[in-house]
Amino acid sequence: MSDFPHNKDRRDPRRFDRRKSTNVSAHLELLSKMSGHLAVTLNIEETIQKALDLIVQFVKAEGGALFLLDEKNNTLVCMASVGPVDIHGITLKTGEGIVGQCVAENSSRIVRDVQQDPDFDHSVDESTGFRTRSILCAPMVGHFEKIGAIELVNKSDASGLFSDTDLLMLQTLASAAALAISNAHMAEDLVAQERVSRELELATEMQRSLLPTARPAPFPVCGINLPAYEMSGDFYDFFELGDGRVYFSLGDVSGKGMDAALLMSKTASLFRCLGKTLHEPHVLLATINRELCETAIHGMFVTMVCGLFDPASGEVQLANAGHEPPLLHARNGSFTATPASAPPLGILPLEAGDDGIRKETLHLDDGTLYIFTDGVTEGDLANGRQLGVDGFTAIIRESAGLPAAERIEAVVSRLGNTGRTRHDDITLLAIDASTTCLTDDITHNSAPMVVLHTFPARASELQAAREFVNKACADCGCSKSMATDLVIAVGEAIQNVVRHAYKDVEAGEATLEIVCKDGIIEFQLQDSAPTVDPEKLKPEWPEEPGPGGLGICIIHDIMDEVEHLPAPSGQGNLLRMVKYIESNRDET
Amino acid sequence: MKHEISQKQDASVVAFSGEIDLESSPAAREILLQCFESTSNVIVDLSEVSYIDSSGVASLVEALQAAKKSGSRFSLAAASEPTRRVLELARLDKVFTLYDTVDDGLTD
Repeated sequence: MSDFPHNKDRRDPRRFDRRKSTNVSAHLELLSKMSGHLAVTLNIEETIQKALDLIVQFVKAEGGALFLLDEKNNTLVCMASVGPVDIHGITLKTGEGIVGQCVAENSSRIVRDVQQDPDFDHSVDESTGFRTRSILCAPMVGHFEKIGAIELVNKSDASGLFSDTDLLMLQTLASAAALAISNAHMAEDLVAQERVSRELELATEMQRSLLPTARPAPFPVCGINLPAYEMSGDFYDFFELGDGRVYFSLGDVSGKGMDAALLMSKTASLFRCLGKTLHEPHVLLATINRELCETAIHGMFVTMVCGLFDPASGEVQLANAGHEPPLLHARNGSFTATPASAPPLGILPLEAGDDGIRKETLHLDDGTLYIFTDGVTEGDLANGRQLGVDGFTAIIRESAGLPAAERIEAVVSRLGNTGRTRHDDITLLAIDASTTCLTDDITHNSAPMVVLHTFPARASELQAAREFVNKACADCGCSKSMATDLVIAVGEAIQNVVRHAYKDVEAGEATLEIVCKDGIIEFQLQDSAPTVDPEKLKPEWPEEPGPGGLGICIIHDIMDEVEHLPAPSGQGNLLRMVKYIESNRDET
Repeated sequence: MKHEISQKQDASVVAFSGEIDLESSPAAREILLQCFESTSNVIVDLSEVSYIDSSGVASLVEALQAAKKSGSRFSLAAASEPTRRVLELARLDKVFTLYDTVDDGLTD
């Protein structure tokens, strides 16, 4: 009791009216009664009214009011009132009047005779006709925060004036009330939190139910989705059409969190609903795109691959809108990518067809088609490095003897059990109708072709370097269109060396080695410039079409494997790019 | 890279030839941006361009942006297969107006 807030009289109230304060048992009884009431209710309004009733009764006041601080508006709001005048609902400015000062200074006040006190605000008396003679006021402070104050008016005895003991009593009771109100506040917050977390649980459950259930073998499609947080921005789905064909899709919504999850649910529903009647993947994507554009949420978009697999012919019709290229792992061990023919969905209206979303036709021929989100290729391995497309194809090759479902499981287990925090959802889909397992059965025995070109890393040397690449590609038996692509990709790689690697130092030499063997053409471009952080060389499409960063994206689009390594000599950079010629030979 | 500018109807037709790469793209950029000082319709004839790299594409994008800013027209015509391929790889084939021939661009 020694640390109660000081009052204006600066006297120790314990020295006064000792006779009147002897009723300790009554005091304790009130405290216990009040605590009992306060403990059973979590309703703040009810709590407050009950507490005030008891206090007014016990201190024997004519009336009383309890004010709560509204910090947002810097006001005190009367939440409960007892006595001849109901002032429930009135608001006061903090710092003004006796109650306001009490709260602002965190000190109690006893005003024996208000007529003598300059702080007394007569306006309430004037408007209500009530005559205030004496006031007691004590602040309420909860867990380190101001809550409000309790004010009592006019002692209901002959004098009508309060004593210091009354003030002491009010302070004690105000502290108890403060604690109860503070607890009720926390309880309300807790209930709200509980509700949100329950809703999130339901939403998560609801979202999981949108994913298709796994079918027993020999069903040709299987998938995995491993969300990073409760809600996923990725999805996949598949279902059978009446004629035996299987529709499948996989998508990735930009961003993370609840908004992404909701857009994901919408897109997945559109796929399932529209897919029943639109049996051409590119037309389906164009239709979904139109829907998403109509109700576009600013800045959000969806990358999506959608396809129709015919088990009878092994043919897959595929459409890709802005998504990571799906990889076809052919029986001969090669991987072929199907890059996006259109930007992601939800940005621009697009037509189905050659000018918009294109339909690609692939033949599985007992191979497997893998579709995945960037959570897979950009996922961290246990050693902290990203898996990358190369890491992905390596795991697939290693697990070639396993059924498709176990192969994708193998990829996910490398990323899922690393003990690292994942920041992106991992989603992977495999389409595989093979009855036999894949093996790397390349049986070429031809001698490798190796050519070397060393040149000063200057813009004026680019043309000659490209001619060298073009000739080497033709010698390796590349088709004309593939040679065009490879010249573009290697041209961009050399351009990057000239433009970026030697940016801050005097231009040195660069060496391009081209090796062709067993249907694979490999380019190794080496420079002696300062080593560049491979993290800075990841392909990232600019959000707006425009200059910059295109070169790396183009290289990744064209090549089947791209790897940035430190140069073996210790100084410089080595870029390794690989293209499988074999699987693309039917292209002219 | 070489270039030739001719006036056809209300349009300035800029015909580039050869290769637009890191060595020549700064010049290509200058030529295109200067055109907009005297005309509000520029058609780039790409029929004789055998190769364009991402720095060349960047010059075209800059010209397109300049055109949009000043309310002018900017279109490409007669792109050869390798040029089309680079625009496609850069996902910019839908961003530019691409005509099969310069005449198509003039009558459109």
